Amino acid sequence: MQGYIYPNEFELHWGLLVVLYPYITGLVAGAFILASLERVFNVKEVQPTYRLALLTALAFLLVAPLPLLAHLGHPLRSYEIFLTPNRKSAMAMFGFVYAWYLTVVLLLEIWFEYRKDLVLWARSERGPKKWLHYALTLGATDLSEEALRFDDNAGRWITIIGIPSAFLLHGYVGFIFGSVKANPWWSSVLMPVVFLFSAIVSGIALVLFIYVAASLFRSKPVDMRCADKLAAFLFYAMIVDFSLEMLDFIHRLYESEESIEILSQLIQGPLFISLIVLQVVLGTLVPLIALGVVSPALSDRGVSRTPAELRRLIYLACATLVQIGIFSIRWNVVLGGQLFSKSLRGLTVYKPLLFGTEGLLMASVLLFLPLVILWLLVKVLPPWLDAEATE
Amino acid sequence: MPQQVPRLAVLFAVLVVGFVVARESLVPDTFGDVGHYRAAAVTSIAAREKSYAGHRECADCHDEIAEQRLASHHSGVACEVCHGPGAAHSEYPDEVELPAPRERGFCPLCHRYDPSRPTGFPQIEPVAHNPLEPCMSCHDPHAPEPPEVPEECGACHGQISRLKTVSHHVTLDCTTCHATEEQHKITPRLVRPGKPVDRGFCGTCHDEDADSQADIPRIDLATHGEDYQCWQCHYPHYPETG
Ligand code: HEC
Ligand code: HEC
Ligand code: HEC
Ligand code: HEC
Ligand code: HEC
Ligand code: HEC
Ligand code: HEC
Ligand code: HEC
Repeated sequence: MQGYIYPNEFELHWGLLVVLYPYITGLVAGAFILASLERVFNVKEVQPTYRLALLTALAFLLVAPLPLLAHLGHPLRSYEIFLTPNRKSAMAMFGFVYAWYLTVVLLLEIWFEYRKDLVLWARSERGPKKWLHYALTLGATDLSEEALRFDDNAGRWITIIGIPSAFLLHGYVGFIFGSVKANPWWSSVLMPVVFLFSAIVSGIALVLFIYVAASLFRSKPVDMRCADKLAAFLFYAMIVDFSLEMLDFIHRLYESEESIEILSQLIQGPLFISLIVLQVVLGTLVPLIALGVVSPALSDRGVSRTPAELRRLIYLACATLVQIGIFSIRWNVVLGGQLFSKSLRGLTVYKPLLFGTEGLLMASVLLFLPLVILWLLVKVLPPWLDAEATE
Repeated sequence: MPQQVPRLAVLFAVLVVGFVVARESLVPDTFGDVGHYRAAAVTSIAAREKSYAGHRECADCHDEIAEQRLASHHSGVACEVCHGPGAAHSEYPDEVELPAPRERGFCPLCHRYDPSRPTGFPQIEPVAHNPLEPCMSCHDPHAPEPPEVPEECGACHGQISRLKTVSHHVTLDCTTCHATEEQHKITPRLVRPGKPVDRGFCGTCHDEDADSQADIPRIDLATHGEDYQCWQCHYPHYPETG
């Protein structure tokens, strides 16, 4: 603690779990937007990750509200937000955005995408798996040309509805922060846009990571054309994201409101490690340079040619760094906005706890949980091309 | 019509109907009549049994204590803050006894030193302030007074005096800078000590030409710190440089 802070600012009200929440929804939106772009623009190379991206989005979406439930501490009352929604509250309306996105967009798209395989799997398997897959088809087992064409068309339409929905889902999270007028660190119309692009970055990095890591685990060859393409996408998304953040930064510097003094102290003090070191240097510049050099983003074969094995490892490392960087962005936004006093004359500190519903342990469980769910989903709905059933 | 459509339609119909039914059955009747809450909550809360009587009620029987308290520093602290809800006791004083918080841990709930309390609010450090004895052996809870007029300014201005003892100004008495009448220690809010008002005051020791101890660091009063008061840059109870 330094300088002057008001007594009610001593304790931070939004802690680690509220950092987790935008991080996880960001991954959902990012993974989904990646899948949608693959589908809408029909990018052949990244076909192997289309289903994986959808399942990843679903696994993380299921976990997304849990940090909030744990943070608010009344999970048994949570359904009331649907029953008696306060229409003037952005947070309350989010419940509906979430429900829409989960049921109408994501589950439907996955269903149409998998229906044919579900039917074929149910036909060829036996035991509980057969029944599970059959139940998932909802009894729609028609595999005629016409029915399959319908699946495809429906999937495309849902994707087209899904893109704005995903934008809404994550734009909303930025909106929540951006619309806090009284907080100079948050209040900015650019916030939803910056959140969105960082979401896309994190989603691509996550899918890239899971794809490469899972292939290595399954001792299947990594389709390098696919990995390269993803890495190139990641590079482009990061360029846009970084430019937007710089735009925001320069805009603040130029406006130079009365808060600029305390914000610069904030950046040089409590946020130095997480903002300058983790977010900008390790999370953005290092992966940008590495991807620019090895991925085919700038020139067809990469600026410097690297053997596939090495490139794979570089991609894994970059994707990890990007995740750390994006997590730091969420950290810097959520906690940074509470570390300085409304008096603009003092800074406080945040010390995460280890135990308790808001502690580090809880946070790591919530970060790990989507991976467990994803593993289960992959068991039930294998997303790999080699698992796709052939007639 | 493709097979998928009716199946999904049924599924979504179930969801929508489930939602409508849940809303119909779970949302309370009077919800939203007045505001974004159950209007009947007001009457059902009002109908609950009273547990607090209010301090006027206590005065009916404990008139001496009540008068004593009203004239004391605790005039703003109601009886039931310390004794707990007393409606039942007021009705049946012989059957229902009220506890009295005699343990030492209680008073520091309000009086333990805490920087967010306003300056001048009587605060103590329970570990150091006459440990082991119950507070009541020296302070009457219904008319609390320090049992004797404290000698040291630090009895009430603990933080400032602790800070000063580790500062460069350790050798200076509080009264060097604050002319203080004795009465301030008895009725601190009515009689206030003086405070330095201008730069010239600090200059009496720190100006280049000042007639003071030789080892005191000097500044040029005319130029140093421009037109600001010295204490806008140096905290007088813990002067630091740079
Ligand atoms: C109708 C008269 C009446 C009212 C009203 C009343 N009291 Fe009492 N109170 C008594 C009597 C009589 C006793 C003594 C009972 C005994 O000694 O067992 C007593 C005893 C007490 C005691 C002493 C318990 C002890 O440990 O010695 C406390 C404390 C007390 N009252 C607090 C209150 C407070 C606070 C209120 C107001 C909410 C209140 N009383 C209202 C009649 C009343
Ligand atoms: C700051 C807390 C506090 C407040 C306010 C307070 N009391 Fe007490 N009261 C005590 C404590 C502590 C005791 C125990 C005193 C003792 O054991 O010497 C006590 C004792 C009593 C007793 C027992 C008889 C006695 O004098 O020992 C009565 C009766 C009583 N209080 C009534 C009241 C009434 C009536 C009021 C409101 C007018 C009131 N108190 C307000 C703390 C408080
Ligand atoms: C609910 C909070 C509260 C509790 C509990 C409480 N007090 Fe107080 N006390 C106050 C307030 C308020 C004042 C008046 C402060 C002022 O004058 O600005 C005060 C004043 C005092 C003073 C007067 C100091 C002076 O300035 O001369 C003493 C002594 C004191 N309390 C002792 C006690 C003791 C002993 C207890 C426990 C029996 C106690 N207090 C419990 C709130 C409380
Ligand atoms: C041995 C007697 C004794 C005991 C026990 C005692 N005090 Fe005091 N208290 C004093 C004296 C004497 C003063 C006057 C200031 C000084 O010299 O520290 C005082 C001052 C105070 C003040 C006034 C400080 C101010 O800023 O006005 C408060 C409040 C206070 N005591 C609360 C308590 C509380 C609470 C307890 C119990 C935890 C307690 N006292 C126990 C003797 C005692
Ligand atoms: C009995 C407790 C007590 C003692 C002893 C005491 N003070 Fe105070 N002092 C107070 C209170 C209470 C205030 C009022 C704070 C407020 O209202 O903001 C105060 C205020 C002050 C102020 C600020 C006045 C202002 O207008 O801002 C000064 C300076 C001060 N005291 C100096 C001293 C000095 C010097 C001594 C010792 C000689 C001393 N006090 C002893 C309780 C005490
Ligand atoms: C070198 C001179 C000096 C000495 C010695 C000094 N003060 Fe002060 N004090 C000041 C000045 C100057 C101010 C006014 C600061 C301001 O207005 O911002 C002040 C303000 C105060 C205030 C009111 C503002 C506050 O910070 O709460 C209190 C109370 C106070 N002094 C108490 C004390 C006590 C008690 C001591 C002795 C332990 C003491 N002072 C010693 C110069 C001094
Ligand atoms: C009665 C004389 C006296 C007065 C009045 C006085 N001081 Fe001092 N001051 C001293 C002494 C003695 C020292 C300590 C010198 C040493 O450290 O050897 C000192 C040291 C300082 C220092 C230097 C600390 C350092 O790091 O070396 C500053 C700054 C200072 N005083 C500011 C002030 C201010 C501001 C005021 C007016 C509110 C003030 N003084 C009033 C006697 C005084
Ligand atoms: C604008 C802020 C400011 C103001 C106002 C100010 N000072 Fe300073 N003072 C400083 C700084 C910064 C230093 C340390 C750097 C230096 O030596 O100039 C300092 C140093 C000092 C020193 C130590 C000099 C030494 O040689 O160690 C003293 C004594 C001092 N100030 C007293 C005063 C007094 C008395 C006043 C009021 C007349 C005052 N100051 C007003 C900022 C200020």
